[in-house]
Amino acid sequence: MKELFYFLVYPGLAFAATVGGILSWFDRKVTAWVQFRKGPPFLQPLFDFLKLLLVKETIVPAKGSVYTFLLAPILSLFGASISAVLVLLPAFGINAGFSGDIIVIFYLMNIPPIAYILGAMASANPLASVGASREIKLIISYELTFILALGAIIYKAGMSLSLADIIAAQSGGVFAGSVSGILLLIALLFCAQAKLGLVPFDIAEAETEINHGSFIEYSGAPLALIYLTKYIMLFTLPAFIAVVLFGGLSVEGPQIIYSVLKVFGLVLLVTLIRNTNPRLKIKQAMRFFLLWMNLFVIIAFVLTLFGL
Amino acid sequence: MDVVIWLPIVAGLILLVIPNLRAIKGIIGLLITAIVFYQLIMIYLAGSASIQISYLGRILDLDIDPMTLFRVDALSGLIGVFVGFFTLMVIIYTLRGRKDHLPQNYHPYLLMTLGASAGAIFADNLILFLIFWGFLAITLYLLIPSHDDESAAAANKSLIIIGGSDVIILVGIVLVWKIAGTLSMNELSIGTGSGIGILAFLTLLIGSFAKAGAFPFHSWIPDFAKSAPPASSAYLPASLDKLLGIYLMVRLCNEVFILNQWLTLAILIIGTSTIIIAVMMALVQHDYKKLLGYHAVSQVGYMVTGIGLGTVLGMVGGLFHMVNHALYKSGLFLVAGSIEHRTGESKIEKLGGLSRNMPVTFITALVFALAISGIPPFNGFASKWIIYQAIVDFGRGTGISNELWLIWLALAVIGSALTLASFVKFISGIFLGREKKELKDIRESGPLMWVPLAIIALLCVGFGIFATQYVVPFLFSPVLGEFQLVGLWSSSFISMLIIVSIVLGLLIYGLGTVRSFRKDDSFIGGENLQDSTGFEVTGFYNTIHDSKPLSGIYDKADKKWFDLYNIGKGGVLQFTSILKRVHSGLLQTYIIWFILGLVIMLIFLLLI
Repeated sequence: MKELFYFLVYPGLAFAATVGGILSWFDRKVTAWVQFRKGPPFLQPLFDFLKLLLVKETIVPAKGSVYTFLLAPILSLFGASISAVLVLLPAFGINAGFSGDIIVIFYLMNIPPIAYILGAMASANPLASVGASREIKLIISYELTFILALGAIIYKAGMSLSLADIIAAQSGGVFAGSVSGILLLIALLFCAQAKLGLVPFDIAEAETEINHGSFIEYSGAPLALIYLTKYIMLFTLPAFIAVVLFGGLSVEGPQIIYSVLKVFGLVLLVTLIRNTNPRLKIKQAMRFFLLWMNLFVIIAFVLTLFGL
Repeated sequence: MDVVIWLPIVAGLILLVIPNLRAIKGIIGLLITAIVFYQLIMIYLAGSASIQISYLGRILDLDIDPMTLFRVDALSGLIGVFVGFFTLMVIIYTLRGRKDHLPQNYHPYLLMTLGASAGAIFADNLILFLIFWGFLAITLYLLIPSHDDESAAAANKSLIIIGGSDVIILVGIVLVWKIAGTLSMNELSIGTGSGIGILAFLTLLIGSFAKAGAFPFHSWIPDFAKSAPPASSAYLPASLDKLLGIYLMVRLCNEVFILNQWLTLAILIIGTSTIIIAVMMALVQHDYKKLLGYHAVSQVGYMVTGIGLGTVLGMVGGLFHMVNHALYKSGLFLVAGSIEHRTGESKIEKLGGLSRNMPVTFITALVFALAISGIPPFNGFASKWIIYQAIVDFGRGTGISNELWLIWLALAVIGSALTLASFVKFISGIFLGREKKELKDIRESGPLMWVPLAIIALLCVGFGIFATQYVVPFLFSPVLGEFQLVGLWSSSFISMLIIVSIVLGLLIYGLGTVRSFRKDDSFIGGENLQDSTGFEVTGFYNTIHDSKPLSGIYDKADKKWFDLYNIGKGGVLQFTSILKRVHSGLLQTYIIWFILGLVIMLIFLLLI
């Protein structure tokens, strides 16, 4: 039962969704400031979620595969919350009865995009197909950068796969405090940007061209679940970066302030990137990751080998 | 124990001469396979105690000690059980396969394959092993009915590549005899410090690679998959050939030879390049059977990489991946068989929206596709995850290939992402998307076809969920000794959380407005939805296909520039064209050759 509590309440679904909602508000508020607007009220993410869940009508596509279409958001929510739990348990120093190493988390974080693709394809909408096609190409592109960066982190942590060991290895000084660490941070931030589907990598749901692409057919309760997934991922990915590069998110005493600053700082970076860049074409995004980012990470890894 | 070898072969031969009783042959085949499967399980449980020549040996009055011929240990016993299992599944699946272009004597061929496979697995003497191994090349050839030029060419290609590799194995066996003076695998332990040792290892390894389909001996598999009935592909390239080829590789790398670090490096390069090259080819296929064929190659790369690491963890990963691959890939081929059986189409773009018509096939196909793409918690993820951690663990050591661990890891992971990409195409192109008008009346396949699928899918799920605590220690501890996983993955508990999540998700849906949902046509940006409106999934990867360095490579690959078989065929044809010129048909020329030969022989004799 204790494990279920970890999964459903703290630090899992409920907690991650709440923090994610707050971060989503923060993201929108910062965006508003950048654009000289006032921005939404604090509870706006909650209102959005409840409105979609309880008020808005659910419409499903007549030509699609209904069950797959409706199950996909549930799967994506699972992927997001389980990766949140597995990142946050070691980050907060909780020793639960279950665990997953860095590779497991890497794969679990792939479940939401895959679920989006399945849902999009099940909706039988050509624009959703375009979105799905772009989403999967984006996955192929950033996956290599992501695993290379994680490889460098595994190496820095003395070839250990467990997040707890990676945090412990940073007790003397966080990985981000070295040249290679800063390069890895930049690469991981771009990967996070792409995983979150934010500008400049919101190619799969480009509003102005393909009307939210993968999500075009979603409405009502299923869309509410997708929003929830997005909130959780907006917390999970910065938390993951904080764990692997900034020595975890301790919640003991005054340490908690640093942890909050780490997460908000990372989200601030993500938000600023998304507000100061135009959307890329899928080809440009692929080239960006496959060529430049990989080169970048390989340089970081070589620097790591020299202890820099 | 030799009953598992001779019973299916003899039964197959007898059924072969009986004409035109297809259904009865199928049922007899099913019975015999069930008996053999049971026997194989018994052999696995009894271990080496089961080695004794029974009935046939006594009838023939063979005066040979069975211990020198056969060998039953945890590895061969385990492989034997899976061989029996897949034969059973395929026989059930094909009991009603009259329309599927199956050869008349399909079931006798299956039985003979079963017997020969059991023989190859349990043989300890290398010559005996090669006899059974060679027999398998013939049944492989017979299991593709050649109904047109393309399938005939595919059958020839398979026979030539596999048969050619048998000859190379024979060379290897001769070398082994020269080095060690014995042919019993049990007693061999050959170092690879000398040139002849390396040569013996490589020749035998080529046999294993050609069977399993590792680069560059893979090219028969996509062609076979495209032309053969899917049930044959599910049986041979997808499951049995993997089991046998990887079995041989494990024997070679783990027992018969002691590898040096350069050989390890070579194997790892072959393994990872097999993963990437084959999956890149799979990405751009339009024919779903050929797509699966390329994946049957790509996945071998993981097994080769895992076993090539040479560590216990790597062997566990490689063997577990072999079992898992046999499960989901034979499942996928059987899915392909069901689709072809119902629709008669083999191109992805001609299909679409079948998830409504064929729900069971769709769900099983989704399980297999997620498993092969390495999505947790399915079995494909579990074995890939073991291979990844084996690579990281391997990186702790010293040696040229250990230093390069990040390259192996990155290539294996990106291969998995590309696999996912091509299965997005497979699943959404066939089962999701808009239903084609012509496919309105397609029904689910019969229970004889979907029951094997469901059994295999359940095993895929079960092997994934119980991987770390139960399946892996239970299956592989007896084979490789005790081992400790480096990574952390509570597969059972986290899988249970999926059920919790689905219940929770449905509860949220229950709260919400889903119950009173309305169906409406798709919104496509204000345009009118027409029958022709659509975005084909086969166009998904055109960006990749058309990107600069890759488009050239793809074009060359389409022209078969990288196909060892085609290169070899070109060489042989060149050579024979020179010989052909000598055979001019003119009597005078022949007489000149004749006299010239006599003169040379005379000179030779005089000199001696």
